[in-house]
Amino acid sequence: MDTGYHSANKIRNTYKNRLFALTFIFVITIMIYGGYLFRLQIVQGGEYKSRAQSVSRRIIPIQAQRGEIFDRNYNEPLVTNRDSFAVDIIPAELDSEKRETVAKKLSEVLTISAEDVLSKIPVNYSSYHQPVEIQGGVDFSKISYIAEHIEQFPGVTWHSKPVRQYHNIGSLSHAIGYVGSITSEELRVKYNEGYGFNSIIGKSGIEKQYDKILRGENGRRFLTVDAHGRSMDGEITEEIPPENGLNLTLTIDRDIQKLAEEALGERIGSAIVLKPATGEILAMVSYPWYDPNIFNSSNLIGNFSRLSLDSKYPFINRTIQSSYAPASVFKIVMSSAAYEEEAIPPDKTILCEGSLRVGNRVFNCHKKEGHGHVNLSHGLAESCDVYYYTLGLNYLGIDTIYRYTKNYGFGEYTGIDLPGEIKGQVPNPEWKKQNLNSQWVGGDTVNMSIGQGYLAVTPIQMANMIAMTVNGGEIYRPHLVKEMRNSITGGVEETIEPEILRSSNMRKETFEKVQEDMRGVVKNGTAEVAITTDAVDIAGKTGTGEVGYEDRWTAWFGANAPYGAPPEEQIVVVTMVEAENEWEWWAIRAANIIFQGIFADQTYDEAIEELDWGWLHNDRVTQ
Amino acid sequence: MTAKDNSLNGRQGSLLRFDLVTFLSMLALMCIGVLFIYSSNMTSSGESIKTKDYVYQIVWIVGALIAYFTIQLGEYDRYERFSYYLYIIVILLLVATLQWGRVINASRSWLGIFDLGIQPSEFMKLAFIMVLASFYQRRAARIKHISTFLIGILLLLFPVLLILLQPDLGTSLVFFPIFLAVSFVAGIKIRYVLFMFLSGFFLVLFTVLPVWESTIADRSFSVFAVFREKKLFLFTMGILVFAAVLGIVGYFTAKRKFFYWISYGFSVIWSAFGGAYIFRELLREYQIMRLIVFIKPEVDPQGSGWNIIQSLTAVGSGGLTGKGFLQGTQSHYQYLPESSTDFIFSIIAEELGFLGSFTVLVLFGIILVRGIYILLNARNSYGVLIGVGILTMIFFHMIVNIGMTVGLMPITGIPLMFLSYGGSSLWTAVIGMALLQNIYINRYTY
Repeated sequence: MDTGYHSANKIRNTYKNRLFALTFIFVITIMIYGGYLFRLQIVQGGEYKSRAQSVSRRIIPIQAQRGEIFDRNYNEPLVTNRDSFAVDIIPAELDSEKRETVAKKLSEVLTISAEDVLSKIPVNYSSYHQPVEIQGGVDFSKISYIAEHIEQFPGVTWHSKPVRQYHNIGSLSHAIGYVGSITSEELRVKYNEGYGFNSIIGKSGIEKQYDKILRGENGRRFLTVDAHGRSMDGEITEEIPPENGLNLTLTIDRDIQKLAEEALGERIGSAIVLKPATGEILAMVSYPWYDPNIFNSSNLIGNFSRLSLDSKYPFINRTIQSSYAPASVFKIVMSSAAYEEEAIPPDKTILCEGSLRVGNRVFNCHKKEGHGHVNLSHGLAESCDVYYYTLGLNYLGIDTIYRYTKNYGFGEYTGIDLPGEIKGQVPNPEWKKQNLNSQWVGGDTVNMSIGQGYLAVTPIQMANMIAMTVNGGEIYRPHLVKEMRNSITGGVEETIEPEILRSSNMRKETFEKVQEDMRGVVKNGTAEVAITTDAVDIAGKTGTGEVGYEDRWTAWFGANAPYGAPPEEQIVVVTMVEAENEWEWWAIRAANIIFQGIFADQTYDEAIEELDWGWLHNDRVTQ
Repeated sequence: MTAKDNSLNGRQGSLLRFDLVTFLSMLALMCIGVLFIYSSNMTSSGESIKTKDYVYQIVWIVGALIAYFTIQLGEYDRYERFSYYLYIIVILLLVATLQWGRVINASRSWLGIFDLGIQPSEFMKLAFIMVLASFYQRRAARIKHISTFLIGILLLLFPVLLILLQPDLGTSLVFFPIFLAVSFVAGIKIRYVLFMFLSGFFLVLFTVLPVWESTIADRSFSVFAVFREKKLFLFTMGILVFAAVLGIVGYFTAKRKFFYWISYGFSVIWSAFGGAYIFRELLREYQIMRLIVFIKPEVDPQGSGWNIIQSLTAVGSGGLTGKGFLQGTQSHYQYLPESSTDFIFSIIAEELGFLGSFTVLVLFGIILVRGIYILLNARNSYGVLIGVGILTMIFFHMIVNIGMTVGLMPITGIPLMFLSYGGSSLWTAVIGMALLQNIYINRYTY
């Protein structure tokens, strides 16, 4: 042994200093740790003791009932809840050895495959202490079976998850919307507002807009529990009761909604019925619509993607989320400007020969042979394009047109109580410079004068415009919720008061004259042949928008009735049929049916009978 | 030396020379371990979920003790000549583990047949200590030469890389303090050891700083763009390397020691800076996050912060005397994960209080200090060096594991030796102690 032949002393002397250095590190570190433990366990011990107490208390949320939704008559609910449960697994409490057995047992109870159960809890979740939902829509009998045999289901828990039921709401789906499980993105934004991992949240429409009111506030039950979620002391230590969500009464009248829905039929487009004196929306139809109950079905993802990919965009609420050229309905704005500015004597006539040349461009009137000599009232009644080209170009100018357009609320949000509203677009020279980097030319003014070109408006803005002429200058914020009621007593907790959105400083006479001219449109103008109802006197304006199709146009009709009555008694109807459909000049016909139905208190079938349009029976909505 | 010493030569007298202090301390720690593995498997209602764990642990302890005494049959010097073979065999086992190992907790560290398995990475620590000690002892004459140190690093790199591939960051980290301590005691120039220590320190610092800034710090530091933006990084790296090279040039032209240290300092920084950049490329942010979440566990209360919060609560709520054996609430309500392995100290501290946790510290302290005493009386440098390696291993496991349970150290998942549930770790610790005992028994054997 060549290496071992040292004396012990020599070894000791060689390594002594360095070994002492090592000892120093060992001893100092252990002393620091001892001191730290002393501080943690004795100095701060009490604080941790109370923390340990609170940790072993589990908080069990008591689900607040989501408010129901009614129409304005508050009789039959449109939306209710059905009792149901969701089964969860807390991955951290699921023994890795028992994973398979538990999944198999659970799959037998839930009648899904064991793979489906396991796929919800990936292996890397194994230290997760938040419950992961395995299946929703589980009924009470299955839950009670699991509860009675809980020892066979370690790590399995459940929570109440009522299913939202939508009762024959038909075309109200856009207004009402639907609910769904909260996504992680939504949770990140709303974490402080009392939402949790298992929260149900409104995804669109009223359900989204009024989510906080509908959901109420969950109660809490405090329990001391063991690892399996079993209560330790057997009794509830403390309980904070839930505060149920409020019921909502909509401004919608379900009969008028049904009427408007059937009057529009299977045509891509929309219809709005509005009370101008308050802003209450009586009907809001956007076709195509969808059935929100599909979001409760097990094939949620399939249904959702099918609808999302539908080229007709059934999820779009066309009344507030689509904008179109207003076409000739826009002439109401032009006439208002002409009267208010006294830009042209109302009796002065302009000769229409079927077209107007501006620079080297020729702008046609919709009547090729021309209207002859027309004045302002006739211009609106006959919707003479040449009259309005001239008015816009020579008498008003783009700045005035722009001012009056904005005055009517175009290019601004209406503030309707629905999410996702768009504000359309009102062009002017600055806008064109910024967005298209080109000069505003006379042709642009000409186009805008008849509501074409870059102008884009939503149907709800159109309804507001008519409302302003009816009210003589005011637009009330359009809204869908009338009141909020206590879900148990039914007592009204809050009423939504009408709120003025815009006030115009135009003279009352201007609006009266515009209304008079609109009456002329129906009485002896473009709408004369189509508005056949005798139930009420209507004032309105037609519109036919160019969109580039050979023989198809978007069709508008904006109207109010009874003509001349005080605003409180009036209603506004705006119908709009997209150019996607076969041309049948349907917007005005739909409005005709709606007015007939409302003022004669008739259903769609009775109304078309009365109008001698019985042939439409074959054209019934089949959806 | 004296006749008396010679008469006690050999095996016959070994029991008389047996060191009871380290043996009994070790035995006490293992008993505490069994008790609390039993406790950790209890639910609050008193029934046991995984009854067999503590039984297994007893079986492993018995086996380990048999190995402990069997090792005393030979003199430790005789084992020295096998150390290279042992090193190569365990390296091969590590390679085999990577190929056929079982994946548990996301790393492939188990090698086994049927239900029996070993973690070669645990035994690698012993093999590495033996081979490093043997190498340094044979190079005693050239110990201050840099080549000795570099070959030592080479011996270190094989196991570290193989274990990193599993991937098991925690276990591979254990090899560094062992290497540094053995090198330091063996007489490697302190400036080499210090260089490795410092660049390792800055490497970790530079790796975690950007994540610390984005997740924990209250405000952002514009300086940290150096770590994030590639151009800025390359620029800074260039300056650092240039400064280091300038130092070397200065040293050789001006022959001033001053330049040497300038170059030394910059080299520490640039190697750490570059290494940290590579680390951040290789590691995901959440992995780095796990390393620093202990600074402020509240930032991640559902993920890795959970364990720290629960463990701190368990330890803190223990108070002076604890909640009593089997009475801990944190562990029995199963708020503490991995309570029989990584977090066994938390249960001891919760159920026995400061008295219990301090006792554990003291028992480790006795082993370490008594261990140094044994080394001071060792017969040859091989004994001293393997002893240093073993004591450092036990020490490092202890401070990292206990530090983790009280929020002083990152969660690395390395076990508390003697106490944590698990055969491989236990056997490694006990065989290490057996070698230490062997050094003591044979202190007068020539």
